[in-house]
Amino acid sequence: MKISKIAITTATTAALALGLAACGSGESATEPQAGATASGTGPKFAGQKLTVWRLGAPNEVFEKYMTDLNTKFTQTTGATVDLQWIPWPDAQNKWTTALASGEGPDVTEFGNDQVAAWVAQDALTDITDVVKSTPDFQQIPQNLWSYETIDGKIYAVPWGGGTRAVLYRKDWFEELGISEPKNWDELRAAAKKIVDEKGSDVDGFAFNGGSDANMSLSPFVWSAGGDFAAFEGGKWVGKLTQPGFKEGFQFYTDLVAKDGVSGKSRLTLNSVDISQRFAAEKVGMYVTGGWDIATIEEQSKGKVDAAKMGFFSLPAKDGSGPAPAFQGGNDIAVWKDTDAPELAAEYVKLAAGKEFGGRYAKENGLLPLYPEALAEYANDPAQKAFADTFAVAKGFPADSNWAEANDTKAVLQNAARAVIGGDKDIDTALADANKELEDILNQQ
Amino acid sequence: MAQTPTIARGGNSSAPARGPRNRAARTRRLSPRAIPYLLLVPCLLVIAALLLYPLVQMLQMSFQEVGLRQFRARNPLPAEFVGVDNFRQVLESELFWTSLRNTVLFALVAVTMTLVFGTLVGLLMHKLGPKMSIFVVVGTMAAWAVPPTAQAIIWKWQFDADAGIVNWALNLLPDWLSQAVFGRADWTGQPWLNDTLSIYFVLVVAVVWASFPFIAVSVLAGLKSIPSELYEAARVDGAGAVRTFWKITFPLLRPVFAVLVVLSMIWDFKVFTQLFLLAGGTNMPRDAFNLSVWSYVEAFNPPADMGLGAAIAIVLTVILLLITSVYVRQIVKSEDVR
Repeated sequence: MKISKIAITTATTAALALGLAACGSGESATEPQAGATASGTGPKFAGQKLTVWRLGAPNEVFEKYMTDLNTKFTQTTGATVDLQWIPWPDAQNKWTTALASGEGPDVTEFGNDQVAAWVAQDALTDITDVVKSTPDFQQIPQNLWSYETIDGKIYAVPWGGGTRAVLYRKDWFEELGISEPKNWDELRAAAKKIVDEKGSDVDGFAFNGGSDANMSLSPFVWSAGGDFAAFEGGKWVGKLTQPGFKEGFQFYTDLVAKDGVSGKSRLTLNSVDISQRFAAEKVGMYVTGGWDIATIEEQSKGKVDAAKMGFFSLPAKDGSGPAPAFQGGNDIAVWKDTDAPELAAEYVKLAAGKEFGGRYAKENGLLPLYPEALAEYANDPAQKAFADTFAVAKGFPADSNWAEANDTKAVLQNAARAVIGGDKDIDTALADANKELEDILNQQ
Repeated sequence: MAQTPTIARGGNSSAPARGPRNRAARTRRLSPRAIPYLLLVPCLLVIAALLLYPLVQMLQMSFQEVGLRQFRARNPLPAEFVGVDNFRQVLESELFWTSLRNTVLFALVAVTMTLVFGTLVGLLMHKLGPKMSIFVVVGTMAAWAVPPTAQAIIWKWQFDADAGIVNWALNLLPDWLSQAVFGRADWTGQPWLNDTLSIYFVLVVAVVWASFPFIAVSVLAGLKSIPSELYEAARVDGAGAVRTFWKITFPLLRPVFAVLVVLSMIWDFKVFTQLFLLAGGTNMPRDAFNLSVWSYVEAFNPPADMGLGAAIAIVLTVILLLITSVYVRQIVKSEDVR
């Protein structure tokens, strides 16, 4: 303890003596003195500072988790952590700015489906050796590393498995005598009832047409037997014109166009916008993950509390069980431009290790990746919707260009808007989207 | 009246005198001819650093393949020269024609409406008594002073489908009237920011609202300079208000209008902030892109293609320069004739 204090003081003095060097978070991390003074006897990285980006909106639960994690990190390494929260929909732009300016994080959280696109931009550090030499990480089942492994190299560590289910107003369902929908007809009927009873500015089942629209659309098309694209004969072939996809897409767009259970003026909202409307008591159901409960509770200042919210798995069309949902998850990765790759790797090891990795999943409403913790989960009624859905989860086309089709070019969001607005009939819209999707996925 | 002839005349008349006087002065002090240029140097340096350098860099980028890998601050890859490939991509894209159409039509409508409305308000302010005139000037200038971001937010709320005052007001209309004029009586939840046409309708309202005060005040300043005898004479001759405007006010204020048209055209051609915010950012319907928004989306939305973005910006600039220069030439010509 005493020695570490001395080490910190020494390092601070040295840094101050060097003047401005201590101001930039990046610069001070490279200070050689800090490591040298304390080597062997105390924290190796005393006096250094690590910038960590967490994605999402901070709330009490997450803040507490991060405080615990960062305190532990400072205890073991001596380095301090500069924590920054980045809203999910802003993440792509923030990473772009970080690369362009060189002022980025050292460690950042990542959506696992985005890893490939950013490895293509040379944004992440290859941490294969770190992963192979960390015993905890070797316990994470091999099939969960597919998004993170590109050309045999590992660029990120899975932090929590996420799938999505339908978040609904439990109290409204009770009040209006609605039971959890078991098929699409019941879902539509429940949504209509909410709109009828709660007012036309309330969305019974909110249409997501924002950057993460496909998270909401995909269960419908997968459940009807459709898919986005398949890799056939060395190239991507779009499947948007297949009957299964069309059926799911039709139901999803009809929610707005025909059934009127989601407002026509709200075609560009993403799940964060919708959660804000949910907190303002303007939404009955929408597709999202478990993390939204704590945020909504806080945003509504307790008016919409946890007791008023519940999750159910989006049902298959014919009621044969849960519809497949996006098998997503969050990762943690080391930013390529970091000045302290070694320290950053230490952070990843601690955060995604058994103790904090398990807590991360549990407290974020995600599924843990460590087998024992997952086994515990299946018995928890609050998590049942996710555990059930996870069993039938599916992924989007595994290609580094998918992110471009998914949110930058917003291929399906635009198609849905054209159909809802009556500018195109569904067949034309999907044929156009299919061609665009193929062009994007097959570009070099 | 115009400045160009004055400058040209000054330059021509002095040219022959320069030689001898310079030779005499060189040894002792700076030539008085050089002093104006010397005084201009700091200003030119600032312009070069702040305006020309970015322009040149953009021009250079438009001929290169520049993405994040080339642009990143650390360990960048060298940018590859791709010739006119970016421009070919721009011209081949369907988005080019929709954005060009949106840009040009919007500028035409917005410039016309801004000028007509601004002139009318200017004439009104001229007619008003001093107190009322100041009241109107301050009131309209407040709208002009609103930053573009705030303008967009203000109008986005007015046109909000559920809570907006526009739908509320339209619902207050008697049903038969609304039915007769718009073909519908119920405006509840009417979305204004979904289709290209209605997005641009809102955009025109927002832009005209914010830019007519400048026109009005400029026209007012011009009107103050017109001798009142001319109007008295017109009144004696029995000319009405419209005739007076076209025969006296308009010809005398022609140079003012010329400048105002050019300025408005430049502003409205490159409108970005209001459209971007009104229509929902990069996730707006692509059919509603104008050239500025399209350039931004290509350049900065991941995967960033700054070369293509720069090429679009160059195309926009060239179109704007062409239109303005043609217009300015015409003005200058008609000035010369007079």
